[in-house]
Amino acid sequence: MKFFNKLWIMGLLILGIAFPCYAEKIVVEGSTTVLPIAQKAAEVFMNNTPGADISVRGGGSGVGIASLLDKACDIADSSRAIKDTELDKAAANGVSPKANVIAMDGICVIVHPSNNTDALTKKQIKNIYTGAISNWKQLGGPDEKIVVISRDSSSGTFEAFGVLVLDGAKVRSDALLQASNQAVASTVASTPGGIGYVGLGYVTSSVKAVDVDGIKGSKETVLTNRYPIGRPLFMYTDGAPKGLAKQFIDFILSPEGQKIVDEEGFVALK
Amino acid sequence: MRKFLTAIILVGIMALGVSYSYAGEIDLLLQKLVDKGVLTPGEAQQIGTETKEQVKQEIAAGKYSSLPQWVQNTKIKGDFRLRYQDDYAKAAAPGTKQSNQQRARFRLRLGLESKVNDKIMVGVGLATGLNTLTATQNANKDTSRSTNQTFGQGFGKSPISLDYAFAQYTAAPWATIIGGKFKNTLWEPGDLIWDTDINPVGASLKLNKNINSNVSLFMSTGILTIMEDTGNTSAPTMFTIQPGANFKVNDAINIKGAVSYYQAFSVKGRTLDGNVGTNSHTEGTFTATGHLLYDYSNITPAVEVSFKEPFKALGVDLPYLALFGEYVQNINSSVKSDNTGYMLGFKVGAEKVENFGDWQFRYNYAMLGKDAVLDILPDSDRYGGKTGIRSHEGMFDLGLGKNTWLGFDYYYGWQIPGNFNVTQSKPAQVFQLDWNMKF
Repeated sequence: MKFFNKLWIMGLLILGIAFPCYAEKIVVEGSTTVLPIAQKAAEVFMNNTPGADISVRGGGSGVGIASLLDKACDIADSSRAIKDTELDKAAANGVSPKANVIAMDGICVIVHPSNNTDALTKKQIKNIYTGAISNWKQLGGPDEKIVVISRDSSSGTFEAFGVLVLDGAKVRSDALLQASNQAVASTVASTPGGIGYVGLGYVTSSVKAVDVDGIKGSKETVLTNRYPIGRPLFMYTDGAPKGLAKQFIDFILSPEGQKIVDEEGFVALK
Repeated sequence: MRKFLTAIILVGIMALGVSYSYAGEIDLLLQKLVDKGVLTPGEAQQIGTETKEQVKQEIAAGKYSSLPQWVQNTKIKGDFRLRYQDDYAKAAAPGTKQSNQQRARFRLRLGLESKVNDKIMVGVGLATGLNTLTATQNANKDTSRSTNQTFGQGFGKSPISLDYAFAQYTAAPWATIIGGKFKNTLWEPGDLIWDTDINPVGASLKLNKNINSNVSLFMSTGILTIMEDTGNTSAPTMFTIQPGANFKVNDAINIKGAVSYYQAFSVKGRTLDGNVGTNSHTEGTFTATGHLLYDYSNITPAVEVSFKEPFKALGVDLPYLALFGEYVQNINSSVKSDNTGYMLGFKVGAEKVENFGDWQFRYNYAMLGKDAVLDILPDSDRYGGKTGIRSHEGMFDLGLGKNTWLGFDYYYGWQIPGNFNVTQSKPAQVFQLDWNMKF
C-alpha cells in the first residue's frame, strides 16, 4: 500500500473520530448513589435543550473524582466529600475542584424483610461490620449468622459509612463486597441473615430499613440533621461550573430538577 | 432571595481567610439563620457544605503553590525487581549437552515526567540493561527487549540506559501527539507481537472519544523508525495504525477490541539490530546475520472479554475473569507460508494485584509463524524472542502489600518443525521468580 494512501486512511479515521467532538457535550461520571439523579436529570434536560449531549456513567465516587482530576470528565458525581489526598493531586494537576451540593441523602441500614430487628444503635452497627458481633442472637434475634454486605473501596457510600458509623475501623474481611447500591439491596433482599447499607433512594419493599439510634431515616430527619447517617450529594466541577455543565447543574437545582431528586427518593434542598 | 444573598455574604465573610477549624462557627450561624426563617434547612446544608469544601480546596492549593515550581511541575516514579531465573533446554542433538543456566538478576527503572506548560509534557526514563553491543558480548543480545542485569561480572558496575525520552503535546482532551522514544502506545491483550520492554522511536498520535456511558473509541497511529537512514538506502520504518473500541455491556461484562495494521518497509534485504535469525533471510540457515527476504505487512485483530464475579450465582467468590485472543497475519503477497500467528489465554483472580493477599493467575498458548512478524519484536523470554515457535506460559502474581508483589512465570516453548534448515532444538523451559516493588 503506498505511503500517501496510508496518510489518507489516517486522515479519514482521525476526522471520523475527532469531528463529532465539536458538538457540545459533557461527561458526568462517578457515584452510583447520585447516578439515578444524574441519569434522569440528563434525560429531561436533553429533551428540553436540543443540541445538548450529556453522557452519564457510574463507577463510584472515587472513580468520578479521579476522572475529574485527570480532566477526563466534566462533572464528578460524589456521595462523599473530596479527600485531602485528592485535593493534593488536584493542586498538582492544576484542577480546582468546586463542590456543588445538589441533594441530601441518608445512608440506610437494611436487613431482610423476615428479620425481626427494627432498630440498631450506631455502636451495634459498627460491631457487626467489624466482626465483634457475628450472630443475630447477640442482638436478641434468632440463632443465625450475620451475613455482612458492604461496598467496594471506590464507593462514596462506603467512604461515608466508614466515617459516620465505623469511625475509620476496617470492615470484617469476610464481608461480601458489592459494586453498587442496587447490588447491595438485591443481595440483602435474597439473604435472610444479611445486613447492608444503601442510599435512601434504594430502600424498597424488598428490604427493611432499621432505625439508627432511635431515628428513622427519612427526608425530614436527614434535612434537619437528626438522622445520624446523613450526607450531602455532590457534583464536583473544575472551578466554578461553566457552559453546558453550569446549565445542567443549574437545572438540577431548579424546582424541576429538585422534583427529580425527590422522585428518585433523595432529599431535595428546596 | 434578598435574605438568601445576605446569608451568603455573612458566611462568605466568615470563611474568607479562615481555616477549617472555624467550621463550627459557620454551622452555628447557619442554624441561627434557619431558626429565624432566613434560610430553609436545605439551603443551610448547601451553603455550609460548599463553604467548607471551598476552604479545604483553597488550603490545599495554597500548600501546593508554596512548593518550588519545578517540584510542582515534576513527577518521579520507578520500580525495582529482583529475579531468580532458571533456563533449561534438553540436548539439541545426539552428542550435544543439555543447557541449564540459573541466574539471579535485577532491574531498576526510574522515570520522570515534567510539565513544560499546560499543553506540553516531557518524559525521561532510565533503566538497567545492555546499552551497547561490544566485541566481547554475544552480538545476538537484544538491547531493545531486556532491562535485566545479571548478578556476577566480578562486582563490576552495571550500565544504565536511556529507556525512553519523549515530548507529549496535548492538542485537545481527546488528542495527544508524542515524539521521541516512548512507551508503546499500541494495545495488545497479551504479548504475542510486542515485547513489553520495547519502547519504539518515532512519532505517534493518540485519539480517545467517549460515545456514551458504555462505549468509547480509541485510535493510535504512528511512524516508527527501526533503523536510521544511512544515506545509501531508505531507513527501515514501520507504519502503525490501530483503531479500537471499549464496550461496557453491563456492570459485570466489558469487551475491548482493536484491529491493527503494521507495515514495516525498507526492511527487505537488510539486517536489523535485534534480529535473532528466525525470519526468512538470504542465508537460509539459522543465523542472526542474514539479510531479510521480505518486507512485513501485518493485520492483527485482538479482543479481550472480562467478567466481574462471573460465578457469583454458583456461590464461588472469584472477583475477575478475562478471556483474550489475538491473531496476526503477514499479508505481504510474497510470503506464501508460515505467515500467521495467534495467542489464546485467560486471566483469573483479582483484576489488579494491589494489596496483601490479592492474586492473579494468567495462562496463554501462542503460535507464531516464522514470517508472521519481524523477529525483533516478540517477547524475549518466549523461546528467546524467536518466531517459528509454539509456547505455553503460566504466570501467578501474589500481593505482598501496597506496591509490592511476588511473581512466578513459566514458559515452555519449542520450534515449529520444518521451519529451519538446522538440527531442531529441543523444547526450552524458563522459570522466573520475581520480587517486584514500585515507587
